[in-house]
Amino acid sequence: MKPPLPARIRPLAWVCAAYGSAVLLHLDRLPPWIPALALVAMIARMLIAVRGARLPGAWARVAFALLLTVGVLATFRTLNGLAAGSALLVSMGALKLLETRARRDDHVMLAVALFLLLAACLDRQALVRMPLYALQLWIDCAALAVIATPQALAGLRAPLALAGRALAYALPLALVLFLTFPRLQGGFWALPHANRAVTGLSDEMSPGQIDELTDSDAPAFRVEFDGAPPPPPARYWRGPVLQDFDGTTWRRDRGRFFLEPDVQFEGPTWRYRVTLEPTGRNWWFALESVVAAPDHRARLTFDRRLLSAEPVDEVVSFAATSRARTVTHEPLSKLGYRYSLALPAGQNPRTHALAQRLRAASPDAAAFARAVLDHFAREGFEYTLTPPRLDRNAVDEFLFGTRRGFCGHYASAFATLMRAGGVPARVVTGYLGGEWNPIGRYFVVRQSDAHAWVEIWLEGRGWTRIDPTAVVAPERLQRGLYDLLPGAAPVVARLARNNPWIGELAQAWDALDTAWRKRVLEFGAASQFALLERLGFDSPRWQQLGALLGAGLALWLAWMSWQSRFWLRTSRPDRLGRAWQSLGAKYARVGLARGAAEAPLAYAARIGERRPDLAAEALDLVGRYAALRYGPGCDARAIRSFARAVRRVRVTSGVRAA
Amino acid sequence: MSERLQQAIATLETIILGKPGQLRLAVACLLARGHLLIEDVPGVGKTTLAHALAQVFGLAWQRVQFTSDLLPADIIGVSVFDRNTQQFHFRKGPLFTQLLLADEVNRASPKTQSALLEAMEERQVSTDLTTYRLPDPFFVVATQNPREQAGTYALPESQLDRFLMRIELGYPDAAHERTLLREGERRDLLPQLAPVLDAEHLLALQTAVRGQHVSDALLDYVQSLIAHTRAHDDIRVGLSPRAGQGLLRAAQAWAAICGRHAVLPDDVQAVFAAVAGHRLERRDAQDAADGLRLASRVVETVPVPA
Repeated sequence: MKPPLPARIRPLAWVCAAYGSAVLLHLDRLPPWIPALALVAMIARMLIAVRGARLPGAWARVAFALLLTVGVLATFRTLNGLAAGSALLVSMGALKLLETRARRDDHVMLAVALFLLLAACLDRQALVRMPLYALQLWIDCAALAVIATPQALAGLRAPLALAGRALAYALPLALVLFLTFPRLQGGFWALPHANRAVTGLSDEMSPGQIDELTDSDAPAFRVEFDGAPPPPPARYWRGPVLQDFDGTTWRRDRGRFFLEPDVQFEGPTWRYRVTLEPTGRNWWFALESVVAAPDHRARLTFDRRLLSAEPVDEVVSFAATSRARTVTHEPLSKLGYRYSLALPAGQNPRTHALAQRLRAASPDAAAFARAVLDHFAREGFEYTLTPPRLDRNAVDEFLFGTRRGFCGHYASAFATLMRAGGVPARVVTGYLGGEWNPIGRYFVVRQSDAHAWVEIWLEGRGWTRIDPTAVVAPERLQRGLYDLLPGAAPVVARLARNNPWIGELAQAWDALDTAWRKRVLEFGAASQFALLERLGFDSPRWQQLGALLGAGLALWLAWMSWQSRFWLRTSRPDRLGRAWQSLGAKYARVGLARGAAEAPLAYAARIGERRPDLAAEALDLVGRYAALRYGPGCDARAIRSFARAVRRVRVTSGVRAA
Repeated sequence: MSERLQQAIATLETIILGKPGQLRLAVACLLARGHLLIEDVPGVGKTTLAHALAQVFGLAWQRVQFTSDLLPADIIGVSVFDRNTQQFHFRKGPLFTQLLLADEVNRASPKTQSALLEAMEERQVSTDLTTYRLPDPFFVVATQNPREQAGTYALPESQLDRFLMRIELGYPDAAHERTLLREGERRDLLPQLAPVLDAEHLLALQTAVRGQHVSDALLDYVQSLIAHTRAHDDIRVGLSPRAGQGLLRAAQAWAAICGRHAVLPDDVQAVFAAVAGHRLERRDAQDAADGLRLASRVVETVPVPA
């Protein structure tokens, strides 16, 4: 038979479980040596406990603490921020584990585990992680229960069941607090994030340098339309506008801007709400052509894109209105002409020649543009995501050599030809298309939907969108990139395409995730006031929210008290017992309180002895009580009648028979 | 039946003066089918009590004076060879009676003691492959003198547990002492005493006692008493489950004696010291009176639920 393990083992094992699982939540954010350290500390602590060995001494621990702090500093170059803070907490937790002796230390470890959970919640709030957080919370609560009563909670099931029950009881309270606890306006909780956003777009475009088109399937933003969505060829989501070209790279030159003439809007109107994924950029994507800046957080630039004041570091949602086209009859400013015609001297000579030839053959700018597009359609251009590399005269090589490329190549070549032909042109980047999610009734625009197109200036019409890619690969306007080039899609996207049910599952999950963000993560002050309004408050105010919070708390407390009557049954008597107690209280007023251990008849006898005037009544009542409590059969009516009799009892003091 | 019981107790009170509590406990012990241990100095009327019980309840009785040379066969009986029938033939010992008074049981050797105590528990005797049932009712009243130490074998705890109750008689108070002095030997009154009940009545009473109503509330109280003895720091060993059963039966008997059909905490408290006193032992001190004191402290401490 194995010798019994020391009593400390069980709480310690639970502490290790709570701490270890908390570390797992941060696993991919930590440098590998920190989780390894935590693992070593846990194993060492358990071995020490099993063997009954000694814990490391104070000096060793201090040395370790210094070493670990330096290590974290060396890895992160700071102790500030979520990542470095979590790393420090994990390593200090490992150290604390090596000095856990008593229950107090266990509690400190549990505090570490709970704090790590909080940090994980601050770090990432994706729906997919919520079960992990819930599980962690469950383990932590079970560990707390075991620490409190190690003997009473043996095995795995008893503590988990207890913790589960406790959490279930806490759930309504959490709900009340979530719905009504006043939210701090502004990003109080927004910690400085390391910029780790992904985007398929940048503010530069160098066709031919690298195959820069992202193969990421990650969502860029989601859009819900009020009413009918625009047809697929109209789903151009405008991003950075690239004006400056050096022969190979298109740039958004920050210094240069010019006044644009006022525009009129034409075509159908679309109202919609965009929810942006974090990018770390100041770009808000909206359908062309957005009518005005949605709200104070962003402004409409001269080249008609939305620029936010703060970088999109967390999910941002805004409502916008767009029309199909803009039209202006006013001329472009001189500066605008200059910037929109600029081409580097001496580069791409063949392109210039081609442009001049086509321009000479065309009566006006629009005809010139058509001629260039015809050229693209005629000359055997091919759409591909893996184009050959291009050198210094990238446009020449592309137009007369390789003839293979994706949207960036076509946009760049087309804009260069336009400028060379004397038509103001600029490249617009953004996204094209979007996938309809029928479950959530919204569009998902993914990074793989990134696109580039061209705007040319036509007198009397203003900036006009031309998408040269559409000539080469017209399907691109109708369908997503991966429909066009199935081989380019990542494995998951390809799987989803070949097995419809995976696609449906992915859509369902995306809908759920979106609902989670919208209903839970973005539930803020505005949503609270909306809730108040729906509850019938005419002009919602903080006070009403506070009142609601108080009412919720009171309701929860009442519910808990109602529940707890089962737990406290042994100490809280039933109706008969309460009547009996109140009888005792009445006699207690004349100094004849029933002793806790006094049996009923003995009590009656004592009353009779001390107060013969009360003897008969006391004996009768006590007899009735004893018969009801200890006799066979005890009906509710008799109990009620006994309780009434007790209420009628008037014990007067002073009358003391000789 | 109940009237007869009251009458029997009244009759006993005329013999044993000034001890109504002990008398009722003894009767309760009899009704609960338990065995009684009376612990006291000689001359306080232990034998008279046993004799009076036998007389009033109409029981056949035997008295065995325990000595250090008493052998198990002396009380159980022996197999003797019958020359005429050429067979062994069991001659029953004094054990085969309805009420056995085992006087000064602590003087006998442990071997003899355990023979008696086994018979008490089993209510039967096995010798030579044959099992002989003891009569029913079968009631043992054992006495021991706690002051006498030399040459005695104090009953060990395991044996004490076989006695449902232990009582002490104690000296009579002044008034009863006077009556005793004036009227002379109480034992002389016994032969003139007409039995109030008989064995059959007693069996019926014993059955009736088992039927006394025990409510859940009362069981709660009994359980908390038992639990308290087990959790108490000063008590070496708490009450055994057998002691718990005995406590309940004794309380049932007490309720019957008081003319009630349901058992009250009062009844449990009345018998608790007698039932638990010899089973509880302090961790530190060694004194017979300690058990009683512990038992009464338990009764005073454990709350009666409302």
